[in-house]
Amino acid sequence: MREITLSKAVNEAIAEEMRRDETVFVIGEDVAEAGTPFKVLSGLVEEFGTARVIDTPIAEPGFMGIAVGAAMTGSRPIVDLMFGDFIFLIMDQLCNQAAKTHYMSGGKLNVPLVLRTNLGATRRSAAQHSQSLQALVAHIPGLKVAMPSSAYEAKGLMKTAIRDNNPVVIFEDKLMYQDKAPVPEEDYLIPFGVANVKREGSDITLIGTSSMVQVAEAAAEILAREGISAEVIDPRTIVPLDEAALVASVRKTSRAIVIDEGHQSYGVTSEIASRLNEQAFYHLDAPVLRMGAMDVPVPFSPALEDLTVPTPEAVAVQARRLCAGEMIHAA
Amino acid sequence: MPREVIMPALGMAQDSGVIVTWLKSPGDTVAEGDALFEVETDKATMEVEAQAAGFLTRVTAAAGDDVPVGKVIALISDTADAPAPADGEADAAPAEEAAPAELPQGHDVIMPALGMAQDTGLLVGWLKPPGDVVAADDVLFEVETDKSTMEVPAGHDGYVAALLAEAGEEVPVGQAVAIISPEKPDAPVRRRADAKADAKANAKADAKPVAPETEPARPASAAQPRARPAPAPQPARAAGRILASPKARRLALEQGLDLERLVSAGHPQPFHVRDLEALRVMGREQPSPTVSPVARPLRLTAETGGDGLAAFMEWAAAAGDLDEHALLAGFAAASLRSDDAEIVVAVDAFGASRHYRDPDRPRLGASAAEAADGVPHLRLRDLRRARVTSVSMGAEDAPVVTITGTGPGLRLTLECAADQLSADRALALLTDLAGRIEEPLRHLL
Amino acid sequence: MADKAKTNTEDYLRMFSQMVRIRSFEDNANQLYLSAKMPGLTHMYSGEEAVAVGICEALKTTDKITSTHRGHGHCVAKGAEFKQMFCELLGKEEGYCRGKGGSMHIADQSNGNLGANAIVGGSMGIATGAALTAKLQGRDDVTVCFFGDGATAQGLMYEVMNMAALWRLPVIYACENNGYSEYTKTEEIAAGSITARAEAFGIEAFQVDGQDVLAVNKLATELVGRCRGGEGPFFVELMTYRYHGHHVGDINREYYRAKEEETLWKTERDPILRFRGWLVDQGIASEQDLEALQAEIKEDAENAVKYALEAKYPDTSEVDMHVYAA
Repeated sequence: MREITLSKAVNEAIAEEMRRDETVFVIGEDVAEAGTPFKVLSGLVEEFGTARVIDTPIAEPGFMGIAVGAAMTGSRPIVDLMFGDFIFLIMDQLCNQAAKTHYMSGGKLNVPLVLRTNLGATRRSAAQHSQSLQALVAHIPGLKVAMPSSAYEAKGLMKTAIRDNNPVVIFEDKLMYQDKAPVPEEDYLIPFGVANVKREGSDITLIGTSSMVQVAEAAAEILAREGISAEVIDPRTIVPLDEAALVASVRKTSRAIVIDEGHQSYGVTSEIASRLNEQAFYHLDAPVLRMGAMDVPVPFSPALEDLTVPTPEAVAVQARRLCAGEMIHAA
Repeated sequence: MPREVIMPALGMAQDSGVIVTWLKSPGDTVAEGDALFEVETDKATMEVEAQAAGFLTRVTAAAGDDVPVGKVIALISDTADAPAPADGEADAAPAEEAAPAELPQGHDVIMPALGMAQDTGLLVGWLKPPGDVVAADDVLFEVETDKSTMEVPAGHDGYVAALLAEAGEEVPVGQAVAIISPEKPDAPVRRRADAKADAKANAKADAKPVAPETEPARPASAAQPRARPAPAPQPARAAGRILASPKARRLALEQGLDLERLVSAGHPQPFHVRDLEALRVMGREQPSPTVSPVARPLRLTAETGGDGLAAFMEWAAAAGDLDEHALLAGFAAASLRSDDAEIVVAVDAFGASRHYRDPDRPRLGASAAEAADGVPHLRLRDLRRARVTSVSMGAEDAPVVTITGTGPGLRLTLECAADQLSADRALALLTDLAGRIEEPLRHLL
Repeated sequence: MADKAKTNTEDYLRMFSQMVRIRSFEDNANQLYLSAKMPGLTHMYSGEEAVAVGICEALKTTDKITSTHRGHGHCVAKGAEFKQMFCELLGKEEGYCRGKGGSMHIADQSNGNLGANAIVGGSMGIATGAALTAKLQGRDDVTVCFFGDGATAQGLMYEVMNMAALWRLPVIYACENNGYSEYTKTEEIAAGSITARAEAFGIEAFQVDGQDVLAVNKLATELVGRCRGGEGPFFVELMTYRYHGHHVGDINREYYRAKEEETLWKTERDPILRFRGWLVDQGIASEQDLEALQAEIKEDAENAVKYALEAKYPDTSEVDMHVYAA
């Protein structure tokens, strides 16, 4: 199978859906001729014109609000939010308007829009361009949240998101845009709420989101050399969450570490760990661990920034301790 | 058609308003928009306007009254004559609202328990109005239970002085629903049962205890790339609780394995699933903690004269009820005691076992508190009247002192596992206990 | 009175009856709140009827509006029915939103009402986006964004007016200036001119007497037509007045607004009284006809209230329905 970059996969997904459905359009800052700073959308404006690949002023709440109204009236906008950190700017339009409209209208109005944005530190961009804010939106009922872990997921999840009748937020890891993975030429969708077992194992389950799936896979390699068999699972969407698959894996292995690049406190890892605790408690032979980003604003200095995110080595250290029966927390 | 004048909701969270003054009198003509009365809320005093034109009639609340929001307090009618009350409901209202008023004296009539597992009864209706004369056999009210509807008699001759629940209310069994007074009441009371319940619920809410704050467990900050040096596993046992993973506990329960045995064997906690394998192996072999030379079990013997004890027992028996095992347990506990912590001593005799909690604490003559079964701190095996004179039976779940007879004297044998008592403590314990048994009076001083 | 936009008897009487319907709806909603029969609270549109009716009578069913927390008037004017509206106010299953929205969130998409919005200024993006859809899909629908003077302080307005002007979107920003931003006089919260705000983006802006339904309707008809021809966006400031407080419980309001001022607006400038006088003067209808029409509407409203009070609540199983669309 051919291999393409995650960037190319996203571009293909959007182009294919725009060809398929005339109501789909892209709106955001520098999405047309510039093709975004990450060049993910390059070529789209040439094919679809400026009416469907719409450059906006630097006014995130404004174009987000316009997208919500367009979605309510028969369009399927894809909003390009240049950095995930800017979610704070559009919170009212995303959480008070888009997320609640279907419910508040008793099911009469839909908001089929995709908000594509990114996450991820270690790009030396400091605290306002490096955050991973998926937990913030996953907390709000009415929003769906997808977190592709490779080019394959990025394309399949994007196409599903565009066809979904709800507001969907897709977080792409900005460090993964140039990573290649096998992606079929033919049309495919990845359903929401279906986890993917990336690697089977019997001693411990490593649940990762987005690029943390790769961290988990690398940790599993390290552990395999020591005779510890780790299972790696990618939930692919955190809302909806494939709870059954995660619980089934943990019931099998008795141990789990949940890894996500958002801040560890009150985060995605906490949520998933709690559900495992509630539903697999009597199958646990060790506490479920959370591994998120440190609870600090992302620092600029490489010497500091690299300390803040989970690494394969750190995951392996914790996995070893769990498998050795060490008490991680004071009892 | 008359328009109702109601107590308006004026604030965001307001349940009632106090009428400061009426600006119109009954019979007055009013125009739409005329100020009718002044209301005081927690914030301010304000005027309430008429919503229709007509005559002010049927004013049922006076200045000073605290009126619930939404309650009708007057009508604006087409004529100055008040229309007849619809069903007498409005007339009864002032008495109904006077819930906090003192109840008249008399016999309580309670909601009877009519079914097997019935907590409440549904009051279907009253058959006597307040103030009416009743005889003890007169049916006072109807109650519906899960099975049927029943008529309940008044139970006393007299007057209906109070009705304390309304039709349709579920009233707890045993709660008073009416009062029958011997004299005709001046002001019979009628109110709902839940008026009282609300007051109780409020009182309860106030008394809610404050939950103690617990020290939050510090999470392992998993993101830290520097691996902390792994601490050595420590056998920790908090307050008698065995530390084991949920899965290990579940499997042990399902397979009939006793985690206590792992504790006795000195297996490091917390226990995980793999530790159950060790437990399964122990199931086949009898516990033999002699695997390591340093963990050898102890066996010590001491001999004393038996006269002192015999004389003391005789004296104690004469002084009152004698439980000689309680006395022996008391001696043993006193010998074992190094601090104020609770000591449980089990005494095994004649095939039975009794547990005593702090038997050295009660004053002589008072019986020692018996403790529940469980692992004691010390076992006392009384074989004074048996033919056996020497034992070597190995360690048990607690240190064991066996008392055997040797002609005129007594022999004390202490046996324990290495982790139960150190050699020094074992020596001290047995020496002290032998002394007490030889000269029991010393124990009294 | 302004020159006629609507020109036949039927149209005039319809405008009159729509204004009376709004007033009757609000009188009943106010009573429901005061008698503690309505959960929550609500914001009365009484006094501003000519704004909603003058504008909505210039729109087609497929044209869109976005509304505000003070939105019952827009909803009625855009064609909503009393029964479903009262049911929604009382949280009943037959309400426009099955009782999930309430007074501040009524949406009636069958008549092009994209919903009231409880965030002040929160719907400005939505209205502009609806206009974008119309333009992208080649429809001639126009969107009217209703908002109050208070919302002109929100930043979103400036972002979306900028884009609407850049992209020539068929949207009309209708600022209902009722003189008060909650409990504060407008001149204390708005520096400079309100219409100048739009003019800064090159948007044509107008100020009109919001108590004159014919003037409002004439301007709206003209601007809607120009929007359909691709000349949008436009901005209109409608000078109007709210008879009640910020919300129904805001009764004691003399600290920010004099009773005399209220009386003046109610007696001298009431949009219904003025239009009624004009209809009689012009011989379009008799006092008796209009009296009968008003009585009929009042009865309609009272019947709808009765119906809604007796209507059933949604089944508890609906609590987690409609979180996500299928």
